Amino acid sequence: MKRNHLVLILVVVVLALMVWTGVDNYRRRKAEQANLRQMQAILTPAAPASSADATAPPEEEEKSPLEGKAAPGFALEDLQGQKVSLASYKGKAVLVNFMATWCAPCKIETPWLIQLRNQYGPQGFEILGISTDDLDKDDKKKMAEDKADIAKFVNNMHIDYPVLIDGDSISHPYGGVDALPSSFFVDRSGKVIAATVGLHDRSELEANIKKALASGGA
Amino acid sequence: MRRMMYAVLASALCMSFQCAVSQKLAWQNDAQAKPNEHQFVQFLYPEQVKLAAGKSTVVELHFRVNDGLHINSHTPTAKSFIPTQLLVGEPSGVNVAAVDFPPGTDYSPAFSPNDKLSVYTGEFVLRAHITAQPGDHLIQAALRYQACDANSCYPPKNAKVAFDIVAK
Repeated sequence: MKRNHLVLILVVVVLALMVWTGVDNYRRRKAEQANLRQMQAILTPAAPASSADATAPPEEEEKSPLEGKAAPGFALEDLQGQKVSLASYKGKAVLVNFMATWCAPCKIETPWLIQLRNQYGPQGFEILGISTDDLDKDDKKKMAEDKADIAKFVNNMHIDYPVLIDGDSISHPYGGVDALPSSFFVDRSGKVIAATVGLHDRSELEANIKKALASGGA
Repeated sequence: MRRMMYAVLASALCMSFQCAVSQKLAWQNDAQAKPNEHQFVQFLYPEQVKLAAGKSTVVELHFRVNDGLHINSHTPTAKSFIPTQLLVGEPSGVNVAAVDFPPGTDYSPAFSPNDKLSVYTGEFVLRAHITAQPGDHLIQAALRYQACDANSCYPPKNAKVAFDIVAK
C-alpha cells in the first residue's frame, strides 16, 4: 500500500513537471515572437536596396515609445572635454542626433543638418550630435586616438554644432539606438515630439524641426 | 491497480523525457542562442575539416549576409568605414598563417548614387591557411563586421565561428 502511494506521488510529480515545462515553453515562444516583432520593427524603416531612394516617401515607421514623453536627460562630454547637458537647452527646440563616423547615411544628412541649423538657429533651434563611436576607456592613448578620429570627422564634415561623445552610455533610455542615424526632435518644453530611424528626406527633417519649434513654448 | 500505475508512470516519464529533449527548459542557458538572433551575418560551414597533419591547407569558410543588407569588405573605400575581419583564437597545435578575403563588390547607395562602397552581400567565402598538428582541434573565431541597409547602419558586431579540425 505504501509503495502504491509512493508511485502515485511520483506520477503526480512527473505530470506536474510536464505541465510546468509546457507552460514555460509557451511563455518562451511568446517572448521570442515579441523579440522577433521588435527586430522587424527596427528593420522596417529600410526600403529594399534596389528601390530605396532618400527622396522617396519613407515607409510607415513604428512610432517611438518616447514620443509625447520627456526626453531622457543626459550630460556628456564634448570634444573639448566640457560637459554638455540636454537640460541646459530648455526653452530651445533640440534635435538629438545619434551618429557615428563609420555611418555612411549619417554623412549624407550632416550637410542638411548644418543648413537647417543655420536656417532655424535664430528661432531657437539647436542640434546635439551624439557620437556612438567606440571609446577605449581602459587605454588613455587609444581613447585619445578615438577622440581624435571623431574630431577629424567633425572637422572634415564642417560640423559647427556640439558633438558629444560616448553616446552608447545614454542609448538605453533612448530605446537602444540600434540603427544610425537616429534622431529625436525635442520641443521647447523638453518633450520628444518626433523620432526617426535611418536616413530621411531633408523636407521631413525640416518639418519635424518646425514642429519642435512650434511646440512647448511658454 | 499496481500494473496500471506503473504503466502510467512509465508513459509519463517517457513523455516528460521527450518533452525535455524537444524544448528548452528554464534552467538551460539562452546565452548560446541569443548572439545569433540579432546577427546580420551567419557562419554557414564547415563544421568539421579533415586535413593532413603538419601540412598547410586552405580551409574555405562560408558566410551569408542577410537579405537587404551589406557589410563593408575587408578593404572598404574609406578609412572611417569598419572593415570585415576574422579574429582567430589559435588553440595549441594549430597555426592560422593567413586569411584571404574576397574583393568587395562595388555598391552605390540609393541615397548617394555617386559614391562607391566596397561591400559583401549574400554569400561570401574566406580562405584560411591552416597548419595543424595531429589530433582533434576546435577552432573558435569571430567575424567582425559592420552592416548597413539602404537607409541605416548598425553598430559593429562579432559573429561566432567555430569548427573542428581533424589532423592525421
